[in-house]
Amino acid sequence: MIQFTKVVKRFPLGNVAVTDLSFTIDDNEFVFLVGPSGAGKTTILKLVTKELTPNSGTILVEDLEITAKHFHDLEKLRRKIGVVFQDFKVLPDKNVWENVALSLQIINTPRNLIRSQVNQALDLVNIRTKAQMFPIQLSAGELQRVAIARAICGNRKIILADEPTGNLDPQTTWEIIKIFKKLEGMKTIIIATHNTDIVNSLKKRVLIMKNNRLFKDVHKGGYEL
Amino acid sequence: MKSLLTNIRRTPYQSAAAFLALFLNLFLAVVILFSSSFIYGLLSYVETRPQVTVYFKTQTVSDDVFKMRDNLINSGKTLSVKYISQQDAYKTYQQLNKDNPLLLEMVSPAIFPASLEINAKKPVYLPQIAEFLKKQSGVDEVVFQKIIIDRLMTLTNLIKKTAIIFGVFLIVTTIIILFTITHFKVALKKEEIELLRLLGASRGYVKKPFLEEGLFFGFVSASVAFLLFLGIIFYINPFLSSYLSGADNLTIGWDFHQLAVWPLNGIFLAIIYGVTVFFGITISTLATLFATQKYIK
Repeated sequence: MIQFTKVVKRFPLGNVAVTDLSFTIDDNEFVFLVGPSGAGKTTILKLVTKELTPNSGTILVEDLEITAKHFHDLEKLRRKIGVVFQDFKVLPDKNVWENVALSLQIINTPRNLIRSQVNQALDLVNIRTKAQMFPIQLSAGELQRVAIARAICGNRKIILADEPTGNLDPQTTWEIIKIFKKLEGMKTIIIATHNTDIVNSLKKRVLIMKNNRLFKDVHKGGYEL
Repeated sequence: MKSLLTNIRRTPYQSAAAFLALFLNLFLAVVILFSSSFIYGLLSYVETRPQVTVYFKTQTVSDDVFKMRDNLINSGKTLSVKYISQQDAYKTYQQLNKDNPLLLEMVSPAIFPASLEINAKKPVYLPQIAEFLKKQSGVDEVVFQKIIIDRLMTLTNLIKKTAIIFGVFLIVTTIIILFTITHFKVALKKEEIELLRLLGASRGYVKKPFLEEGLFFGFVSASVAFLLFLGIIFYINPFLSSYLSGADNLTIGWDFHQLAVWPLNGIFLAIIYGVTVFFGITISTLATLFATQKYIK
């Protein structure tokens, strides 16, 4: 569960990123986060991962109150979350297999478990045949598959995707969305996107941001601003 | 080890800079360490030569001389006290002038004074011993190489202070250079570090490769510096041997243990190697630790 209660985030120069933000996302829910550029979508994702700290309000992620004054479980929090970026953030000097395995190596997973879990994740995103290839040899769609495989490895319960299809052509976009659909019901998925087609056709819960506030929270909704 | 070598290969210039900086400083450190030990050994050797010689009046009876000798030995300030009787002095004179019968005919043992040759445990005891002897009855003359001893003591202190100042300078310089190089490396891996932290990697996990590299460079640079030094020292060994032909054994040490520094021996060289490796590993690890502490949040 992810719960925001009256969250306010202001940047050092005073401009407001999000204000009076309250919502709850249940376990294994599939949610779209939409809104114009600068509405606060990325800020919400960064607040969940604690890359940003709110000025006021409380945020609860699973059993952790991450806004608590003496919160020291940053690593524990981040090990529950897989992140997918628009620009993939795949390490260029590691091959596909190593990039995905990284997610498990950092939590000291035994080698045999790493092997089986990485292969499983690569199968899920359908890129196992390219496991030994380096990022420079892959297309944008393939790179995003690698990023998703990395995000789901290590029994991460929450997947945050920030414009995951922003750099992809329409066909590849749908292939990536299909992967997220495969994960539905197994993990909590939050996708920040501008892609109206995807939001409208999937009919999932949509959190609509406008003027740095939660404008609408629509269950089985579409893209509207 | 594989990932360590891969990391080094991926930042070749920074790695080369770190290695060379460490190597140069460690090589200088080995040279300083060896030279200081060697000079200390040499000074100790010089200090063990007779330092105070006291000549007695010819009419002084040997019992009084022996009493004085015992007093000196019991003072705990002397390393050795050697008694030269009138007869011994005469024999030495004969030996020195054996080719000149004329000179030998003119003297008898009675004109030679008995004497004591005294070595002090520490140079600071020498003036005290000399003063003590001057006050004794039956003493004719006390020969005390005050200027030489003072110069030796000044030189010893100078070497000690120079080695400390230069050593501290080397440590600080090396730490600053390695700190800067590690900062570059952290900056080059900024994205990877951010990603690792976002995936939940602990700070320790992110710092580990940098620290391993520091340890590796410390060990390898120290070993290479020592090997180069060893090559040089074996090359100049024949020159040193002929120069120090009179000095059989140079040692440094303390009251409880003496370490032989000359002739070159395995224990001394092993200690030099150990100290260099310890020095290399410590400063490279410290520098890396400071840099990662500051730049990896």
